[in-house]
Amino acid sequence: MKKISLIICFVFTVGFGFSQIKSNERLIYAASYNMSGLMTQLAQVTMTTETIKTSKKAFLHLNWEASTFSKWDSFFKIRDVYETYVDPQTLKPSLYKRNIYEGGYSKTEKYIFNANGKSITSSTQKRNRPETRKTFAIGSSTRDIISTIYKLRTINFAQFKPGQTLSFRIVFDEKEYPVYVKYMGVENVSAGNLGRKQCFKISITAKTDKLRGRDKNLIWITADAAKVPALIRFSIPVGTGQLTLASASGI
Amino acid sequence: MRKLFVILAVIFAVLGIIFAILPLGTIAFLPIGIAIISSILAIQNSKLNHKTLPKIILFISAITLLVVIGKVIFVKDVVVPDKQFEQKKVESKKEDIKDLEGL
Repeated sequence: MKKISLIICFVFTVGFGFSQIKSNERLIYAASYNMSGLMTQLAQVTMTTETIKTSKKAFLHLNWEASTFSKWDSFFKIRDVYETYVDPQTLKPSLYKRNIYEGGYSKTEKYIFNANGKSITSSTQKRNRPETRKTFAIGSSTRDIISTIYKLRTINFAQFKPGQTLSFRIVFDEKEYPVYVKYMGVENVSAGNLGRKQCFKISITAKTDKLRGRDKNLIWITADAAKVPALIRFSIPVGTGQLTLASASGI
Repeated sequence: MRKLFVILAVIFAVLGIIFAILPLGTIAFLPIGIAIISSILAIQNSKLNHKTLPKIILFISAITLLVVIGKVIFVKDVVVPDKQFEQKKVESKKEDIKDLEGL
């Protein structure tokens, strides 16, 4: 079951904007899955940012973690980590890692974005299988999923008209995908400890079988300076679900 | 008709118990509700000396309902700290910094 992997598979990359992602940001979401028409809370998703300094430069570490609530651990344990190290200003990724454990299935992936910006050296290992390594070409604006989602937060949707779209490219499972983002207008949404907030409603479509339906994969981003994803709804081949913001700090 | 309601009550009472054991939250109300309604209808359609089985099913369903309500109220959605997972993250970060130094 790769449901949580697919939850995080909201993707898009953009070649403009400015960095407004702060270090030490912490967003906590409750992940729910639709079971027989009722949303059942399954896991907690935590998104954090942190500055990491090496001897040469500083990176912004963007980290997504998904852990099932303890009551689910005995039935279907999930411990997923998606992380990327990006340039703090441009959010361009240098290193992306995915380490998933979902009900006994495990997979690790590491992408090193080469200095030329046009290729990735990847290493992948699935449960009980040997590690595979390869280098493959990517477009100059292609990003990983996590940095793409954060990049989306730097876009000023206030200047967009409903129906206006953007196209992006992301890399996932060692493949590049075109992704389309459509601005759908403004709605009020509950945003955890931030209260009820006015949000930009964004629809995501990808030329992949991992996301289903037209305008069924949606993100509501707060229409303020922080641009926090307050609600994420997804429709994937195995069902539908949502991530609701429970708490936000350091924004 | 009584037989149909008894069968429905038994099936949904069993489903209710399974759902109550699993961490499915409020979804369990659905089979339990059907079990309760079916057992009440079975009681109404039973002769005086044949009311025992639907009464037992009704009792079991009511207990299951209380268990589910209790779980919904008292069992909170929490993530238990996972030492192995935390250790793995620390090691992974050290490895990442090595990789970043080489870029």
